[in-house]
Amino acid sequence: MSLRDHFDAVTADTDRADGLAVDRDKAIAIAVFLIPGLTLFTIFSVAPIVYSAIGSFYSWDTFTMEHFVGFDNWIRSLTDPLIVNWSNMREFQYPMGALTHNLLWVVLHVPASTFLGLALALLFADLKGRRILRSMVFAGFTVPPIVIGLVLMFVYDPQAGIFNEFLRVIGQGHLVRNWTQSPQVAIYALIAGGIWVHTGFSMLLYSSALSAIDPSLIESAKVDGANAWRRFWDIIWPLVKPVTAVVVIMGIIWVMRMFDIVYAAGGAAGGPNHAYSVLGIEVYRAAFRPQIDYGMAMVVALLQLFIVAPLALYIARMR
Amino acid sequence: MTSIVMEDVSKYFDGGQTIANYRLTLEVVDGEFLVFLGPSGCGKTTALRLIAGLEQPSEGVIYFDDERVDGRSPSSRNVAMVFQNYALYPHMTVAENIGYPLRVRGVPPDERDRKVEEVTTLLHIEDQVGKKPAALSGGQRQRVALARAIIREPSVFLLDEPLSNLDAKLRQEMRVELKRLQNELDITTVYVTHNQEEAMSMADRVVVMNRGTIQQVAPPQELYERPRTAWVARFIGSPPMNLFEGTRRNGSIDFGEAGAVELDDVLRVGDTVDDEGSTAAPGDGDTASVVTSDVQGEVALGVRPEDLTITTSRPTAGNVIEGRVDTVEPLGEYVLVNVTVNDQLVNAKLADGTVSRDERVYLTFDDDDAYLYDENGELVN
Repeated sequence: MSLRDHFDAVTADTDRADGLAVDRDKAIAIAVFLIPGLTLFTIFSVAPIVYSAIGSFYSWDTFTMEHFVGFDNWIRSLTDPLIVNWSNMREFQYPMGALTHNLLWVVLHVPASTFLGLALALLFADLKGRRILRSMVFAGFTVPPIVIGLVLMFVYDPQAGIFNEFLRVIGQGHLVRNWTQSPQVAIYALIAGGIWVHTGFSMLLYSSALSAIDPSLIESAKVDGANAWRRFWDIIWPLVKPVTAVVVIMGIIWVMRMFDIVYAAGGAAGGPNHAYSVLGIEVYRAAFRPQIDYGMAMVVALLQLFIVAPLALYIARMR
Repeated sequence: MTSIVMEDVSKYFDGGQTIANYRLTLEVVDGEFLVFLGPSGCGKTTALRLIAGLEQPSEGVIYFDDERVDGRSPSSRNVAMVFQNYALYPHMTVAENIGYPLRVRGVPPDERDRKVEEVTTLLHIEDQVGKKPAALSGGQRQRVALARAIIREPSVFLLDEPLSNLDAKLRQEMRVELKRLQNELDITTVYVTHNQEEAMSMADRVVVMNRGTIQQVAPPQELYERPRTAWVARFIGSPPMNLFEGTRRNGSIDFGEAGAVELDDVLRVGDTVDDEGSTAAPGDGDTASVVTSDVQGEVALGVRPEDLTITTSRPTAGNVIEGRVDTVEPLGEYVLVNVTVNDQLVNAKLADGTVSRDERVYLTFDDDDAYLYDENGELVN
């Protein structure tokens, strides 16, 4: 058999339909392996979303779907002062509505925890004992949020709380109060606690991003004449940008889904007169507390989803 | 235009546990191309970083011209550096990378663009200015790093193994280009490499380093012709110099079974005259005065492979060392013959290989081609 014959035989082989048959077998195999995962995903993720989406257009008698009511649930929920309280917002009086509170968390908590995380990561980068320091800061994030909520209760306690004690020590005794129960300041007290927890997370991500930067880039910038601020602004900040995107979006998702800390501090009402209620609390109350309003629970949950899903999708598709 | 002076510069790490550089004393004259050459971990890069200001000396002082610069930041020394991995800013385009030192210094954009154009033309990368470093080949990245270094006309130009990440052909090209660039710009240049071919071909003077200390500072030719220590002799040349280990006694060097070589022939100048022991020397009367013949001790006789000749019959005169052929490597340009002398393997470069394995051979060499190193590894003659 000459080389030519060999060559022809090889090309003839690939010309036949074998290739297609192999591909079909592969496709079947892939499908079989996907079934368990997809089943779970469908039952626990897709189905509830679809069920809520449909259910939000029906009237409910406790947990029984009754008849189609169009946008009734939606209009009722979105105009509910518990979700957005326009009149209180004009006067800057709490409660301003769960959605407003959630957005306030986004505006205050996310930038603060992001920058604090970056600052600590930069500070710890060349420090002796940085591992211990990092572990200490990150420890907050490993504690279940419900426990964080309880810890905050203790921290802000008017008698035993360390925060009030601190105020007394620095001579600001007149500021002492039960922080989690004072409507006008409680939400800030909780956000501060949230920042403490989430800073550990952003610090950890930034630390690994910083250690991934080639040290010779920083040295090169030094030789090029860049001072510390320019080195940060021109070199480090652009190089950790992808991490910033992840930290910010994860932060937004985290606070949009906020429930435990608020529940621990203020119960199912979300503080005195719903002073710092969030969407998660409203879903819980509408669904499981009398007067049960299942339609509204579905609408509010979908509202959360609409805000969070595109962000999650963005992260998932990030290169 | 800057000269660099290092005086007794030492650098310790880990609280003195690691000695990176020990008492470096060196002068780099204005416009010189100086190369630090040495094996990995010999402290050459640390020495460069000390000059750059990326490290501060533990002891000693550094001057640029007459100005003391140790303790100063790299930017205030006006040095430019090319790193081994180029250290291009990955998020900036080629033009932004090259223009960055000027941007930091607040040079207006128009002026910056003009200069970027100038250096990119000089280095033939004018077509790449809009690209990110990731889209460039190794050689192009190298040029961008060079362009970024020369754009602000530094007083000192520092290069840390800049060619080691390139393939052999490109390395050769860049070597020529670097040398041309340095000639044109006439900037004082300090270059670090472990590649002796690079060092020898580019340097005005080479600083050979080992274990944190300077072994020898000399122009390439002198380094080859007069290696000051046995270590340098063993480091320079490809293959490096053969060092025949022997015992110095009674005016000759004894190589045991391999024979002996008359010392007075090799030692034309003689080492330090030993007042106490300078009794009448055996051998030729006219050289006796310069040879302290009763000095005994272990010595090494160095002969370069290219200076050895091989004969199969014992020559009647001259310096002869006996050995047995181990292997013959025909390399085209020359034949490398490995010969076992006592238990030591030495190389000889021959024009053709007429000897065969296990053959008894005689290595001969001229007096002028021999170097004698004492037991401390210092050159005697």
